[in-house]
Amino acid sequence: MEDASRRTTLKALGATLGAAAFARAMAPLAAWPEDLSIDELLQRHYKELSRDDMVRVLRRLEQETLDQYGAVVTIDDVRPIPEVQFGYALNLSVCVGCRKCAEACHVENNHDRATNQSYIRVLEIKNGSVDLAMGTVDYDHAVPKKGRSYMPVQCHQCDNAPCVSVCPIEATWKEPDGIVVVDYNWCIGCRYCEAACPYHARRFNWHKPEIPAEEINPDQAYLSNRVRPQGVMEKCTFCLHRTRKGRLPACLEACPTGARVFGNMLDPNSEIRWVLENKRTFVLKEDLGTRPRFFYFFDK
Amino acid sequence: MPLFTALTLFLACDQGFVDPSREYGPPVPDAPAKVSRVHVPTSLGAVDTPRRDIHGAPIGVSCATCHAGPGEDAIVVGDNGNPEQMHGTIELLHGGLACDACHEPTDRRLLHLADGAKLEMAEAMQLCAQCHGPQARDYQKGAHGGMTGYWDLRQGERVRNHCVECHAPHSPKPPQVQPAPRAVDRVVFPASETH
Amino acid sequence: MNHARSYPAFLRDAVGVATDGGWPFYTWMTLLTALALVGVNAWAQQVVGGMGLTAMSDHVSWGLYIANFTFTVGLAAGAVMMVIPAYIYKDKAMHDVVIVGELLAVAAILMALLFVNVDLGRPDRAWHLMPGLGRFHWPVSMLTWDVVVLGGYLLINLHICGYLLYTRFLGRRPEKRWYLPFVMLSIAWAVSIHTVTAFLFSGLGGRPFWNTAILAPRFIVSAFVSGPAFIVLALQVIRRVAKVPIPDAPLHTLLGILRVTVLLNLFFVGSEVFTEFYSGGSHTASASYLFLGLHGHNALVPWIWTALAFNSVAAVILLSARAKSQLWLADIACALTFVGVWIEKGMGLIIPGFVPSTLHELVEYMPNELEWRVVVGIWAAGLIVFTLGIKIAVEIFAGRMRHQLPAAEPDEPQAAGGV
Repeated sequence: MEDASRRTTLKALGATLGAAAFARAMAPLAAWPEDLSIDELLQRHYKELSRDDMVRVLRRLEQETLDQYGAVVTIDDVRPIPEVQFGYALNLSVCVGCRKCAEACHVENNHDRATNQSYIRVLEIKNGSVDLAMGTVDYDHAVPKKGRSYMPVQCHQCDNAPCVSVCPIEATWKEPDGIVVVDYNWCIGCRYCEAACPYHARRFNWHKPEIPAEEINPDQAYLSNRVRPQGVMEKCTFCLHRTRKGRLPACLEACPTGARVFGNMLDPNSEIRWVLENKRTFVLKEDLGTRPRFFYFFDK
Repeated sequence: MPLFTALTLFLACDQGFVDPSREYGPPVPDAPAKVSRVHVPTSLGAVDTPRRDIHGAPIGVSCATCHAGPGEDAIVVGDNGNPEQMHGTIELLHGGLACDACHEPTDRRLLHLADGAKLEMAEAMQLCAQCHGPQARDYQKGAHGGMTGYWDLRQGERVRNHCVECHAPHSPKPPQVQPAPRAVDRVVFPASETH
Repeated sequence: MNHARSYPAFLRDAVGVATDGGWPFYTWMTLLTALALVGVNAWAQQVVGGMGLTAMSDHVSWGLYIANFTFTVGLAAGAVMMVIPAYIYKDKAMHDVVIVGELLAVAAILMALLFVNVDLGRPDRAWHLMPGLGRFHWPVSMLTWDVVVLGGYLLINLHICGYLLYTRFLGRRPEKRWYLPFVMLSIAWAVSIHTVTAFLFSGLGGRPFWNTAILAPRFIVSAFVSGPAFIVLALQVIRRVAKVPIPDAPLHTLLGILRVTVLLNLFFVGSEVFTEFYSGGSHTASASYLFLGLHGHNALVPWIWTALAFNSVAAVILLSARAKSQLWLADIACALTFVGVWIEKGMGLIIPGFVPSTLHELVEYMPNELEWRVVVGIWAAGLIVFTLGIKIAVEIFAGRMRHQLPAAEPDEPQAAGGV
């Protein structure tokens, strides 16, 4: 009997020690709720929000940006323009690989400053090949270099997007105007879409993005360039906060050679239609059947 | 993949917005199209002098500063009006053309087309177009040349770059530039330089 | 029989048995608990500091966690290699110890689910994955299929284990209609969990290294290597440590299975290697990187050759006549091939799918210390579940954990049965 009670005492001691050790192991989580509100935790999917819900969410996000970054910003829920299908084309004959587009993207879309992240990667490829294996993104010499051509790659807004198919929770989807978007407040960060994308178009927020308050672009939209939370996916949205208000994407405006052509593919008089109908165009990795809306073309 | 596309389409039917009015924004009112105008840079009708400003950029001087009117008589020659020096900064690397191929000999403030018709400096793109037809066509169709503003002219205007903003008229091939810095992605091992 | 009273009694006694033992047991459990807590701590740091604390990047966006996920799903599926002989071929000796396989399935699935969860950037939103609560992208996303089959396999095996142990606890014979249909279902289901896991990868057209029809067969066969190999080792530990008289017969059956699956696995790897290298082209880049190194980058080369060497040596040992009489030789083979498969379908399969990247950038990956801590923690947690399950099963089958009926009946001698 005495032995049994000794055992019980030992067990109780063990359980107490175990619980204490567990609490100690979990202690780092105490720092977490700083950036985590109950409203955010319970927020429904973007498509399940009513207009009123959406307004509340937008105001909350604006407040969070002010609290966490010290920046006053306006976040809108910018929706597609009816009867618009966006298309983008890039002239490989004139691109010089200056990365001005990538730089403009970095600034416009409130990317993390430390990583100099951008939705655009520019490949330098030896002439005589369009094989990506012959390319590099790491060049730092003056451009255009003789014997090299340049190929910027960003999200192709595929009509048959593998990233959309694989997402287990519909956190990413294709909008009526063709743009593939991410609900940054619904994504669980499993990164299956990043594995599925054949164009390296998606980025993960490995850390909380760091941007000085004065550098934050205050003109923001829920589905595009608002400062993303840690642990979620992000991607190029053809600058929908600009383009859905009729403006040109930031990367196009920054291009010093005019290599970029953007517009509404449903408008027969649009520039993008003229390029698609008259130029020698191709899409990247056409064999994968992704049906991109981002086209490359040549002058000659 | 077609199977999955079909499935996606099938399932997309009941996966829309709880509030369907949120799916689209308001339609754009059919306003008269705004203009798409060409930006005329100040460098047009000017020439670089050997002097530099505090940023190291050459200080330009307008052609009209010296060439005040038609004819050789109209040349205003000041103390530093050495024509050799004044035009010395110009390196002519434009398909073996001579100055007078573009510049009007009887009035240096103007240009002239191949048929002799005189042309204001501001209309220089017409002159470019007479030799560079395909580029001019592409430009007109919006497939050549940079721009800023609106793709949707119902909502706002657009400003097109002028030819000379990328192609200096006397040496049209754009110079090499240093690229903007690349992204510094997290890597465990250094990425290869070339492969 | 009043289940409302006897089932809580079953659970209470199970907790009692699970926390009671000699010093070796306490030492083993304390060690595992400590390791599990190290993992918990590492994970907590990762949640707060971001996935950037791992060595993963936008180029190699899955690493050691998903590698172990793939392997543990295989381990769970491999447990079925005890179930098939026991129930389809009515192997009596195997039938007596089949609960070991079923408990392994439970522990391995739990580990697999943990490995997925520690890989999430936003674990606070994991509820988005729950059918009904979140927005379940079924049937389009293969990951939703994985949630369904893994959850289902866990429930099926929990039911089988729970039912068998509970009826034994009550001193009754299990009724076939309450478990046999589930056992049959679990066999088909075991194949499905690993097929779906393979489809996660092979369905991605943008990753040529994974985009191969042989991936699912490879997964299944390598699961039928790792599962039996683990069980052979586990059974011998159980009969030495817990003094349970397990005969050699089930071990020989499992080794017989291994003799075939180890070779089949090597054959499938060989087929893959031939196809990759004989046809060539840029699609071979990943395989070149894995086996030979590419442009001076060769972090995975030692790993894959170790795996191939381990699996080949295991095959030779298992085929030799001596391994049949000397079990220690077979044990070495099992340990070698277990590690070999762990490398081959973990680091040797997940990582090269990302190297080079889809834009052919060569960014390598090697797990860092934090990732190792999380992984060791999850393995420790899995072993805790497995150990406790086995301990409870041993006590019940030995008749030491029996339902005490209110009217004290004389204790019947325990019906024949091993673990």
